[in-house]
Amino acid sequence: MAAGQQSRYCCLFGFVVSQHNLLANTVRFHRLKRMQSHSPLDTTIAVVTPENIAFDYQVAGPFRRMPAYLIDLLVRWGAIVILVVSALFIGLLIDIQTLGPFVLAGMFLTYFLISWFYGTMMETFFNGRTIGKWACGIRVIDVDGRPINGRRAFVRNLLRIVDLFPMAAPGVFFDSDIPPIYIIPTGLVGLIAMMSTKRLQRLGDLAAGTMVIIDEKSWRLPVAKVDDARVPALASFIPADYRISRSMARTLAVYAERRHYLTPARRREVARHLAIPLIDRFEFRSDIDPDLLMYSLYYKAFLAESSGELADLGPLAGYSPLRSSVAETAVVETDDSDIPIAGIVQ
Amino acid sequence: MKVATVLEKRRHQWAELETFCDALEKRGKVAASASGTYQGSQGIARFATLYRSACADLALADAYQLPPSTVTYLHRLIARSHNQLYRANRFEPSRWADMMFYDAPQQIFADPCVKIASIVFFGLFALAMYMGRNDVLFPGFVEAIIGSAGIEQMEESFEQPLNGSLDHYVPMAGFYIMHNTGIGLRCFVFGLLILPCLYVLSFNAIHLGASFGYMARPDAIGGDNFFHFVTAHGPFELTAIALAGGAGLRLGVGFFHTCGLMRMESLRESAIRAVPIMAASAALFCLAAFTEGFLSPSPAPYIVKAAWAVLSSGLISFYFVVLGFPRDAFAASPPANDGQPSPFGFDDPPESVESQIDVPRSKMITSGSGGPSDAT
Repeated sequence: MAAGQQSRYCCLFGFVVSQHNLLANTVRFHRLKRMQSHSPLDTTIAVVTPENIAFDYQVAGPFRRMPAYLIDLLVRWGAIVILVVSALFIGLLIDIQTLGPFVLAGMFLTYFLISWFYGTMMETFFNGRTIGKWACGIRVIDVDGRPINGRRAFVRNLLRIVDLFPMAAPGVFFDSDIPPIYIIPTGLVGLIAMMSTKRLQRLGDLAAGTMVIIDEKSWRLPVAKVDDARVPALASFIPADYRISRSMARTLAVYAERRHYLTPARRREVARHLAIPLIDRFEFRSDIDPDLLMYSLYYKAFLAESSGELADLGPLAGYSPLRSSVAETAVVETDDSDIPIAGIVQ
Repeated sequence: MKVATVLEKRRHQWAELETFCDALEKRGKVAASASGTYQGSQGIARFATLYRSACADLALADAYQLPPSTVTYLHRLIARSHNQLYRANRFEPSRWADMMFYDAPQQIFADPCVKIASIVFFGLFALAMYMGRNDVLFPGFVEAIIGSAGIEQMEESFEQPLNGSLDHYVPMAGFYIMHNTGIGLRCFVFGLLILPCLYVLSFNAIHLGASFGYMARPDAIGGDNFFHFVTAHGPFELTAIALAGGAGLRLGVGFFHTCGLMRMESLRESAIRAVPIMAASAALFCLAAFTEGFLSPSPAPYIVKAAWAVLSSGLISFYFVVLGFPRDAFAASPPANDGQPSPFGFDDPPESVESQIDVPRSKMITSGSGGPSDAT
């Protein structure tokens, strides 16, 4: 079907494409489509390390990079002012007559070096970070995940000028008579470039082959602890022949992480969609809390030891969630082998 | 094995890696009070081991059925350690020398963008100079370009003969480095959008050319002093502007002329190639600034300045042509298999350069077909 459409499409443009090529293209197209549909709609970028491990970086957007740039601007001007003032001071202290010209030359050079090469130097020496980037928790790296080198830092920092284009005149904002001097950068070029690239790169990043990522500070290892005594009890009633699939396990883990942020009523509402078919399947009573069932499944999947021994039920012994247990208690010790844990029900 | 057991087993190593990262991020090295296994080469080995095992855990996360939050934790932990293990390279002086004296001249010699920029710059410069000089054919050209206020200012500043002092030289050298190199860098950067770069290049060429032409008129006030001033630093500075424009064009052309690469890949490639050209240009700007600051305004005789101009032109030519001539042209192709004839190779071995040049005609005829010289 797709191949037919494509061949018609190709004929339209007068190409002669062999059937084999078409098929390969179709397959590639579908694979691409599947890949795209599987990659999350997010700002994470997978990086493959030399250890052959793919891990995710989160790419920093304009709202993190803008404050970093402003901080850098402040630091840059602060450094220039401090250096110039201290040079003047030293010159005055010693002998302004002879040292004056050198101080002036030093000022020009300081201004030149700091205003053009601040970013290049910082990023090369401090592993892809400037002071502003450090304060905002972002870092520049290569698109392949390798560290940035001097040449790339040079390119991306120089090209910032183009990214800050077009310049606006102050007269646009304040109605004044002064001739328009275009000094206020709007940064539209960089913003458009960032919007249209996957890694949120501005033109300087594109030319240097770099990207800015969020540099994670420490992140607590989340461990879900089960403190509800009913959970192991209910888990012991889940039939042993029920195998928790991989996707089910993932769903349960997400649920167990998120349930702390939900109210009990909301938990039940969310859990019901998955719990009701399971209650039917396990032949549990219909008044079982869906949230509790999901949680016990999580316990069974992730925490409980898989050995056959039964959990110590404590005061909960004697209760059973099974639908038939009402009848069972009347007829004591019937031989009912299709209920696997009937023995507990005294 | 249950997840809880796995986590319990692995957690200690992850925490160890995390404290390692903390120390490295804060101070760049592990504290001296830490135990011996974390110091020096042992510490590096330990860090690498921990990092690799965390990588292995992440790779097996799916098989272990780790919860998504733990996987996120591992991603971040590995990203942190990765940034500490693979750090940015420091500046290496040898590599920079290599770039200045090997990469840059080779690139400049081979790059058509530099040629285009030079033709645009020097062509427009010569044209504007001619038009500015010839007041009969092109009346009012200089006034249109520089403006009458500009002409007056120029005449005024060159009315007196040059006599600078050290007080004057040093700050001016600093100022020229800042100002002119800044223009060069801006020209390079605008090259990404091509048109602004060409504009800056042409503007400077026409402006400079018109001033030169005007000052070359016999009736110009201060014309002698003007040429006294500009001769010494002219070669360095004009070449530097042309080079900066060439580097900029290389950047922008890479975006359109992709040579079969993907567009972004091509842009990246050409940016990396443009950096040595720009570095050479910046070095020339600095040399020009020192000349302009110290030699040009000095009352030294004209012959000294002219000699410096000739010397600097010679140095630039040496740099571009001798250092820049493609090395492959000299290097003989390395013999395959250390000179041993390969059973799968060609029958006739490649002839050396000498034998191609003076092959006697009679030998050519007798050697029959098969020789490469037959093709001519």
